[in-house]
Amino acid sequence: MIGSGTQEPASEEEPVASALRVSPVEGPSDLELMQGIQDEKPEALELLYDRYNGIVKALILRVIHNEAEAEDLLQEIFMEIWNQAKNFSAAKGKPLGWMVTLARRRAIDGLRKKQAYLRAGERLQNETEQQPNAWVHNTTEDEISFGDTRVLVRKVINTLPEAQQQAIDLAFFRGLSQREIAAKTNTPLGTVKTRLELGLKKLYDGLKEVRDEL
Amino acid sequence: MSFEEFQNQARLYVIGALERDETEEFEEARKEFGESADRFIAQCYDLHEAFALSLQPKKSSEALKQRLMSMVRERKS
Repeated sequence: MIGSGTQEPASEEEPVASALRVSPVEGPSDLELMQGIQDEKPEALELLYDRYNGIVKALILRVIHNEAEAEDLLQEIFMEIWNQAKNFSAAKGKPLGWMVTLARRRAIDGLRKKQAYLRAGERLQNETEQQPNAWVHNTTEDEISFGDTRVLVRKVINTLPEAQQQAIDLAFFRGLSQREIAAKTNTPLGTVKTRLELGLKKLYDGLKEVRDEL
Repeated sequence: MSFEEFQNQARLYVIGALERDETEEFEEARKEFGESADRFIAQCYDLHEAFALSLQPKKSSEALKQRLMSMVRERKS
């Protein structure tokens, strides 16, 4: 195992992404909006949608690479947010984290269900070869700016070696297991494990530090 | 499994990168470490939020929003 000594669990006052609030917005907090959705107030969902549809769609697109399918899935995901809001618990995490977890699962499930997994893998292979830093350099003009948060997150990601970024990208955005990543990248399994462990630890620690910069 | 090893595995667990046998071992360790383990795992899920925030947001169509809200209001009524 890789690490620099046993650590006690971080305290509740030190969540990794406590500072990674998008929150340039005024109005109700994310938590208040989730409570509104739990109370079946459509206007709460509308506000949450306005606030985060761009982020959720970007995540879906990163997984399935198809605009029309991404829009369909985005609609399904926000319907699921509406239907499953009662399962959200602030004690277990933040609204955006919950939504992202849900969206990622749906996007990866969608990818597998339509049996395009292998084809997507081939696309990924090409994409990775052509654009190894796609994760961190995928800017286009028609995008919404969320200010410093993304810049700071990317700053942390950019500190990772490219191979670690790729391994994390394949695991998180493609839902690949370590063995699948090893096969996909023609890399020994042990090396993949090391890349993931080191990369995720650096990200986790780096994102904590970001909090101090905001 | 030491707590340090558990932490390394937890970060893999939340992104679904553990193999089945590793997941079983991880779940055993999770029980062993109790609340500390659950607290750490909850914090690891913040990585999901960070990964999403690392992406450039993509606008969705206004028509989609209207369709969604129409479905929500229909379902409510």
